[in-house]
Amino acid sequence: MQLFFIAATILLILKIFYGNPDTYYLKLFFDLIIAFAVYFLILALIRFENSRPSSPLSLVLNVGILLAIMFFIILFSDYLLTNVFENINQQINNPSLVYNVISVLYLLVVVSLVSFFFVILRHLFYRNQAKNTRIYFNTMLVFFILASLSKNFFDSEHLSFLITTFFVISILLMIFNSIRISWIAFLTKKEKLYLLLLSFFITSLFIVNISNSSGENVYSQIIMGFSPSLKQFNKVVMIYGSIYFMFLFFTTLFHLPTAEAYDRKAQEVTSLQYFSKLITEVLDFNDLAETVTDITQKLSDSKASWIIWRNGSRHNSVAAKNIGYVESDKISNKILEKISIEDLTSTKTLNLREKVVGSDPDNSYSVVSVSPIKTKGITHGILVAAKASGQMFTLDDLNAIETFSDYASVAIENSRLLEESIEKERLEKELDVAREIQKKILPLKAPAVPNLQIASVFIPAFEVGGDYYDFFKINDSKLGFVIADVSGKGISAAFIMAEIKGIFETLSKTIETPKEILIKANEILWHTLDSKTFVSAAYGYFNLNEKKLTFARAGHCPLYLFRNDQSKIMKPSGLGLGLSERDYFIDNLEEYSIDLENNDTIVLYTDGVTEAKNDLLEDFGDKQFLKVLHNNINLNAEELSNKIIHEISVFSSGHEQYDDITLVIFKWQQ
Amino acid sequence: MADFSTSVKEKGDISIINLKGYLDAHTAPTLENNFTQLIGENKFKIIVNFEDLAYISSAGLGVFMAYIENIRDNQGDIKLTNMSNKVFNIFDLLGFPLLYEIYKNEDEAIRKFSGS
Repeated sequence: MQLFFIAATILLILKIFYGNPDTYYLKLFFDLIIAFAVYFLILALIRFENSRPSSPLSLVLNVGILLAIMFFIILFSDYLLTNVFENINQQINNPSLVYNVISVLYLLVVVSLVSFFFVILRHLFYRNQAKNTRIYFNTMLVFFILASLSKNFFDSEHLSFLITTFFVISILLMIFNSIRISWIAFLTKKEKLYLLLLSFFITSLFIVNISNSSGENVYSQIIMGFSPSLKQFNKVVMIYGSIYFMFLFFTTLFHLPTAEAYDRKAQEVTSLQYFSKLITEVLDFNDLAETVTDITQKLSDSKASWIIWRNGSRHNSVAAKNIGYVESDKISNKILEKISIEDLTSTKTLNLREKVVGSDPDNSYSVVSVSPIKTKGITHGILVAAKASGQMFTLDDLNAIETFSDYASVAIENSRLLEESIEKERLEKELDVAREIQKKILPLKAPAVPNLQIASVFIPAFEVGGDYYDFFKINDSKLGFVIADVSGKGISAAFIMAEIKGIFETLSKTIETPKEILIKANEILWHTLDSKTFVSAAYGYFNLNEKKLTFARAGHCPLYLFRNDQSKIMKPSGLGLGLSERDYFIDNLEEYSIDLENNDTIVLYTDGVTEAKNDLLEDFGDKQFLKVLHNNINLNAEELSNKIIHEISVFSSGHEQYDDITLVIFKWQQ
Repeated sequence: MADFSTSVKEKGDISIINLKGYLDAHTAPTLENNFTQLIGENKFKIIVNFEDLAYISSAGLGVFMAYIENIRDNQGDIKLTNMSNKVFNIFDLLGFPLLYEIYKNEDEAIRKFSGS
């Protein structure tokens, strides 16, 4: 930019001193200076244009505005400048100085305008991202310069053919370079219409300006006074401009019919891009469904869109766009009369036999498209798009919806997986709490009691199984014990365990007999537990002084007694706790009492032991359990329990532990 | 854990639910739906056939407890049939035979319904 100003200043000084150049070398010198000025200005403008992001449309508009300015400058300069010069001649004693200054400024304005046209045209040209863009343009530029300079230097009879040659080649190159204007394709229909109008005016203005500037007027006098080459360059650029914009006009005209289709494709691409971004960002099912129907409706140019989502054996409308749920349900039902969700594998159109008219009679629907939303080959829902009555789905519409429903399927699957993993995490947290509760409820270690070995093992399942056992030292001669299993699993089972612990701890202190304790416990639980939850339990106590074991069983696994290589399954009758009301429970409850002998082994367990499974889903089973006990009955209580747990873990090594395992072994030693 | 499915058929005014597979806390909702539906249709005479049932957990037993009161209040009943020994033992431990009528086969249960 500074270089441009330096060149301009030199020009001013030269003009003041020499006036109009008349010698050949002076002409050459003037031309050189102007050429430098133009060159530096163009460089500066290119840098400026590159630095700001501009759409071709705004560039075109700029050209239009500058052309209009140029038009007015040429138009009014005749009248205005002549008047000014006359006034100057009359009033000032050194008129040529002022005249020169004004003409240099005038020249600079013209130079700026020409440079600007050139730069913008160059910018528009470079929008074409074809091969060898640069080479084509530079070749043209070289001929521009040759055509311009030749005007000055070959202006004699026998060399004038050169001027014409360069000029013609320039024009040919201009035409060649104007043919491919690819950026039009990326404009919307509205922009194209706008461009059509604009390019028409610009072409006209270019032509008007060319004819205006070539005549004998003040404008051409002033320019010729400096450099015929500049005038020629100006002309060449103007011609290029008019050719370019003429081509632009026609190209735009030819693009108009396909503009709508292009707009649609562009919308599709944008939607899909937007959506693929969404897939990774939106993970909430409902948000996603809203977006899916929103895009579907726009993409297929439909009146309304919604999703029919299967929910067990029922289905409901989700994320209805531009339609009420009542209407969408009505149409959904009609759709499902014709096809079932599971059987839909590809996008189809369906004609509704009769129009569905909404609350607003303007909203009536007669044709819908249906696309499956499927994950892992199973169709979970239908993406519906409905056209207003009288409209049809085009093949393009259907292709767009089909593609889109595939995207939607992936996205919905993602969100579902996430929801599942969140749910899983929540469940795991919940189970952590449940296990924590269970751990706190169960006794840390068995109490030390004379003549009685006590061993207990508890192995929690991943999903807390609701097993509970406890020992109560009622007094020095009495040791109470309980083993129980709450139906159900997880945190609800853990809370019930806590309740049971409270019940038995309290009752064991106030009530003596196992039967009465269980009756009372049943009464409490009958009222507190919901109807499908119950507890199996066995309660008993050792009377150490009387060497006696008394117990009762409320729906729990039997107790095993091993005495002298003989085993006895002790299974007094009794209903589970919380299953029946007081009287019925009492009627069916028995209490057993046995006198203890030396080495009597009493085994209590929960069904987690006998129902431990191997990888063939076979149970560990009562028989095997009894056999292992039999074979190892001479071990002490601790060793025996370890042996059993070892056997169970070997047996079920291929299978996940499904239920809590509880084993309590008493060994009477006199 | 494993699969569970049910099928319901009608014999006169009696509904028969066939159980298949593993009935536990996770699969119980399937059977719960069957009962809810039958009760919703005022069908209170229900036979549950255990022939193809491989396993029942305590939560599975709970399903029967959840509906029996309502059904009996409506002069209906749930009668159980065709239990394997293994399944029967689980019912037996908890004292369910004291709460439910358990029969060898469907015909026996149907006769009981007709007789009463």
